[in-house]
Amino acid sequence: MLPLRELQLRLSTALSGGPTGTGAVADAVDPALLALVNDRGGLGPARRLDIYADMYRARLVDVLREDFPRVLAILGDKEFRALACRYLARHPSTHPSVRYVGRRLAEFVAGEATLPPFLADLARLEWARVEVFDAPDAEPLRLSDIESLPATDWPALRLRPIPACLVVECAWPVHEIWAAAEDPAPGRAGTGRPEASTIRVWREGWSVSHAAMGDLERRVFPLLEQGEPFARLCAAGEAGLEPAAAAREVGSLLMRWLEDGLLARLPA
Amino acid sequence: MAIAVPFLGHGVGLRPKHFPQLWDGTARVDWFEAISENYMVAGGRPRAALERARSMAPLVLHGVSLSIGSTDPLDEAYLRALGDLVARMEPAWVSDHLCWSGVGGHYAHDLLPLPYTEEALAHVVRRVVAVQERLGRQIIIENVSSYLTYTHSTLAEWEFLGAVAERADCGLLLDVNNVYVSATNHGFSADAYLAGLPPDRVGQIHLAGHTDMGTYLFDTHDGPVIEPVWDLYRQALRRFGRVSTLVEWDDHIPELDVVCAEAERARAVEAEVLEGANAAPA
Repeated sequence: MLPLRELQLRLSTALSGGPTGTGAVADAVDPALLALVNDRGGLGPARRLDIYADMYRARLVDVLREDFPRVLAILGDKEFRALACRYLARHPSTHPSVRYVGRRLAEFVAGEATLPPFLADLARLEWARVEVFDAPDAEPLRLSDIESLPATDWPALRLRPIPACLVVECAWPVHEIWAAAEDPAPGRAGTGRPEASTIRVWREGWSVSHAAMGDLERRVFPLLEQGEPFARLCAAGEAGLEPAAAAREVGSLLMRWLEDGLLARLPA
Repeated sequence: MAIAVPFLGHGVGLRPKHFPQLWDGTARVDWFEAISENYMVAGGRPRAALERARSMAPLVLHGVSLSIGSTDPLDEAYLRALGDLVARMEPAWVSDHLCWSGVGGHYAHDLLPLPYTEEALAHVVRRVVAVQERLGRQIIIENVSSYLTYTHSTLAEWEFLGAVAERADCGLLLDVNNVYVSATNHGFSADAYLAGLPPDRVGQIHLAGHTDMGTYLFDTHDGPVIEPVWDLYRQALRRFGRVSTLVEWDDHIPELDVVCAEAERARAVEAEVLEGANAAPA
């Protein structure tokens, strides 16, 4: 008889498929464990353990399928499942909630040389969408909240993005790959070229969206995140522009952020 | 001692698929059971939906990751998050499973069976007591479906479950379908199981569908409750009386009216059994 902890450690190893995550229990028999499982009816101990091993993989692969639908669409079911099993063997879940099972998938994909080179960036974008889905709530800032501010208040105005907003820096135009992968024609998503892109991912209401940032937004957004005053945002927008033109450009950007619900309401 | 929980009637599981139908107010729902972990998040639609459901009907939180039987220390961050959720939502009760879900810092996200030994019993009792102290309330522990049993178990599952309830002063969530599935998979008597549980500890009943895999029954929660499980429910009602009941449906989830129809059937079966019993001559 094994002490409870020893039993659990051995069973846990058996269910997750051992070091490779690929073998069924019956292929890697732990004699001490098998001796503790009742043999009854048509199901022997190894088959009974296999039921749990199969459930373990099926459940977690399903979670990854839901969280990475475009990676799944590009790889196809069989290759995605193989990737997910390799990932789970390397990075078993360490959080009580399955919500976090995929948090290191992008990092893992980046280390897999045989996968399409853009796939890690795509996985990062999909994970950012998961993170934003249940990020903290915030009342969005509306135009009516700020349109009556005196002009003299604007330079010192400090705006903030909502908490449900993340920025993903990519080496590939994954927003285009993401869109193309919704209905992937064979090989279509793999034909792009590397091109640095910065993508913001945010939640408006309960809907998660993402959009590629232009040059101006890419320069200004970090300052917004740091809570810098509006005058600093305008200054950052000045590259090659007159101050008045830069202020207009930043003003247009501000309007887009407001329309997207990207800014948090100012503290009272 | 007994478990002190109210009778809520016949509830349904809170599932995102049903939100539109729930929010339009046309469905009759006695109470909701929500999977605790799905709502232990910072914000967004899950939290808003839970608050909305809570405003419509009583709420019960049902966890899958407490891992009460694990030999890892209780997860402090998990307990803190659960405690916060409980404080915010004030559920009628909080339940989880008699199982372990992971060890060595790794989670299998499954309801793994324990050996029914004195060692495991003492371990589980200690942890249930600790969780109850932490949450400041009794919890309710559910029997799981299982596909293996251990050669060194010295207690029957129902003896173990009853002993946990008595020694830790907690309640029991009797999953009638799980009794049926495990009884078939392991060849024990479902009748003996029900007869062996302390009646005053049963605070809730689960019903569900399962799948016959040929050589075993698989607890899939993906279809209607089968007739033998309804019969076992009748037996449970005769033994335990009126108990809040919920039909679980977690895969291939149908429209809300189908789930509600199963809840209504549970209501009808309860009336048939208990009103019939009341009307019977002494």
